[in-house]
Amino acid sequence: MSHTRRELLDLLVRAAALPAGAEFLATWLQAGQAHRHSAAPPQPPLLRNYQPKFFDSADFEALQSFTEILIPTDDTPGAREAYCAHFIDFLLNSADEVPALQKHWRQAMAALKQAGFHAADRNGRAALIEAMSKPERDPSAHHPAYFVYQLVKRENTFAFYTSRSGMIDTLDYKGNTYNAFFPACTHPEHHRI
Amino acid sequence: MAKSYDAIVVGSGACGGWAAMQLSEAGMKVLLLEAGSYVNPAREFHHTFLYQMDYRGQGKPGFLRRYSGTARNYRIMIDNQENPYTTAPDTTYRWGRSRCLGGRTLHWARASDRMADYEFKAASRDGYGMDWAVSYADMSPYYSRVERFIGVSAAREGFPQFPDGEFLPVMPLNCAEAIFTAAAKSLGWPTTHRRLAQLTKLHNNRPPCHYCGNCVNGCDVGAMFSTVSATLPVAVRTGNLELRTDSVVAQVRMNSENRAQGVTYIERYTMKPVDVDGKYVILAGSTLENTRLLLLSAKGGLANSSGTLGHYMMDQVGGGGVFGFLPQLKGGPSRLDDGKSAGITIPNMVNFDKKTARKDFIRGYVMNATGGQSEYPIFADRLPGYGSEWKKEVKTRYVAQARVWIAGGEMLARKENFVELDPEVKDHWGIPVIKIHFTHCDNDRKLLAHFQQTAEEFFRKAGGEVMPMVRRSAPTGFPDSGPNRATEDSGPSRGASHEGRRDTIGGSIHEVGTARMSVSPKDGVLNSFCQTHDIANLYVFGGNAFPSTGDKHPTLTMLALTARGCDHLLEQAKGKNV
Repeated sequence: MSHTRRELLDLLVRAAALPAGAEFLATWLQAGQAHRHSAAPPQPPLLRNYQPKFFDSADFEALQSFTEILIPTDDTPGAREAYCAHFIDFLLNSADEVPALQKHWRQAMAALKQAGFHAADRNGRAALIEAMSKPERDPSAHHPAYFVYQLVKRENTFAFYTSRSGMIDTLDYKGNTYNAFFPACTHPEHHRI
Repeated sequence: MAKSYDAIVVGSGACGGWAAMQLSEAGMKVLLLEAGSYVNPAREFHHTFLYQMDYRGQGKPGFLRRYSGTARNYRIMIDNQENPYTTAPDTTYRWGRSRCLGGRTLHWARASDRMADYEFKAASRDGYGMDWAVSYADMSPYYSRVERFIGVSAAREGFPQFPDGEFLPVMPLNCAEAIFTAAAKSLGWPTTHRRLAQLTKLHNNRPPCHYCGNCVNGCDVGAMFSTVSATLPVAVRTGNLELRTDSVVAQVRMNSENRAQGVTYIERYTMKPVDVDGKYVILAGSTLENTRLLLLSAKGGLANSSGTLGHYMMDQVGGGGVFGFLPQLKGGPSRLDDGKSAGITIPNMVNFDKKTARKDFIRGYVMNATGGQSEYPIFADRLPGYGSEWKKEVKTRYVAQARVWIAGGEMLARKENFVELDPEVKDHWGIPVIKIHFTHCDNDRKLLAHFQQTAEEFFRKAGGEVMPMVRRSAPTGFPDSGPNRATEDSGPSRGASHEGRRDTIGGSIHEVGTARMSVSPKDGVLNSFCQTHDIANLYVFGGNAFPSTGDKHPTLTMLALTARGCDHLLEQAKGKNV
């Protein structure tokens, strides 16, 4: 959508009168420039400085290791950079009003320990996760700790893709920003079947 | 002594805001009462990334249980604990509500489609139910008036079942929408951009959309139509409007001449009852709240000589849909696909003329489709695997997400779907709440099944790969592109069900009926101007008047009915010293 010079001037006057008009104008107009930096702000330091409170150190170490095997650091950040285990601990430590959620996680970590995850080295843990996850690929397969895999995967996925590391640095999410135009599809091949 | 006004408007959503504007512009002294709190867009609405919030938008575990909505928008939704409702044992209905200045206009889906004449005259065509007391010809000038004011981004297409209006330029299609459009055309189906009350240019002192995709969290600049951004500022500028928020209306008071005297409201925080008088009383809250007030205001219900008050409740059929991926887009660059929060529309293709008549069900439905990147990859935790390969696969599919959903499916009006006052449960202010009796019939289910079949055909034609485990779960107007985890029950009041809107037939937050319009006072509560048949100075604006849902989103029709009703009210008031 393009605007005439008159419309843009009119917009300047009117938008300046809006709540937070100056901020809106500055970012909105910048957004129209061809070279645009990511407008996503940095992640607050909450988790960077967070000390685990819900899990004991053995469980937390196991959980952290689990999350990093599920979402490793490679050419993009992983669960470590996103502080996924920290987020899960933070969430559960805040869940006094949902005791069932806390209990479920305690049971899961106990089952993980019983499966030998805590005592295993990195290769052993990787092998264990491979075994635990088999029912996901093969519905006829069973593993007593499959529910732990599902639980950690779900929460870890959420923690990762709602972090800046996951949302911006990995997926390059473009929304939630001020934009002068909406980018139309310009691919001829998308306009015919 | 009660303070007196020319008109009292109860509720500040789409219809209440419009009525307050039109009547105050005409010189009436208007009191606008809103049960919820004042909303300051500068404070409430801003761009916040999930990672900037401690709980990533979900709120502290347990906290949002009493609210509808997410951490971003619960303040513009409702506190279910203060405002409960109940449901009959066989009812699975989730009543989506807001209580704040502007009501649901602050987070609505903005869909602004005109109903066609075949919908107003559905009963004459297929013999079921009752025709509207207005025709398309009656409504067309009012649709135009509303469209000119609110600003609707749309394309003129000439489809008989999807009437054109007075439109602003369209928003461009993203890649997924272009593919879906091509698929529809190759199937010989009609297709157009979603028609949205979202500005694409400067319009009536409001700036154009800046494509942040935050519509359901409240638009920070007023580019989408809402009471707060559009109608209220005009009303305030007249100097004729008095606005009282946190004012919970408990009843309409009558005088001895069978006229509404005014209303009694309870101050939300002091619990003090206050009487105010008005020459005209206009109920313009949400559909079911309007009916609740009529039920509260007289034994057997106010303006209920027809016995139809509370009955014929409807909500457009929701549920089903297809989610998956468009292979053409896999692995492509990330684009601002969700910035306009829009999509394409496939207008109704069944039962609107002889050629499209079906034998297995009556009435029709509209479909929407969109795709591309979103704030959160909702499919990721259901995608098998883990590790670097899984991460790459998530990213590959992230930009190729696609979905088709039912925009509006007509639900048949049945008398046995009704609301009544719950004899036991009261709200925070001691006011009896409503109990909802709501089930679907075979026709509703057949219509949804036909939609599902058609949606899957459409998806396949576009080349889409269906991901059967992920279906669009949230009805329009609720956050559906963000993380919708079910770690806690954040939603409904007692008896209502989340699951009813996930994988089975459900509603669309388009509840209508319960005080339908009719030509004869024997058949309904309202006349064609939304004036009650029984009480000359009592009007009800909202979805209440609908004798049938039609297949279009209801808000534009509600606004047009309000504009028409206000014209009628002003005509009635001429020469009567108001």
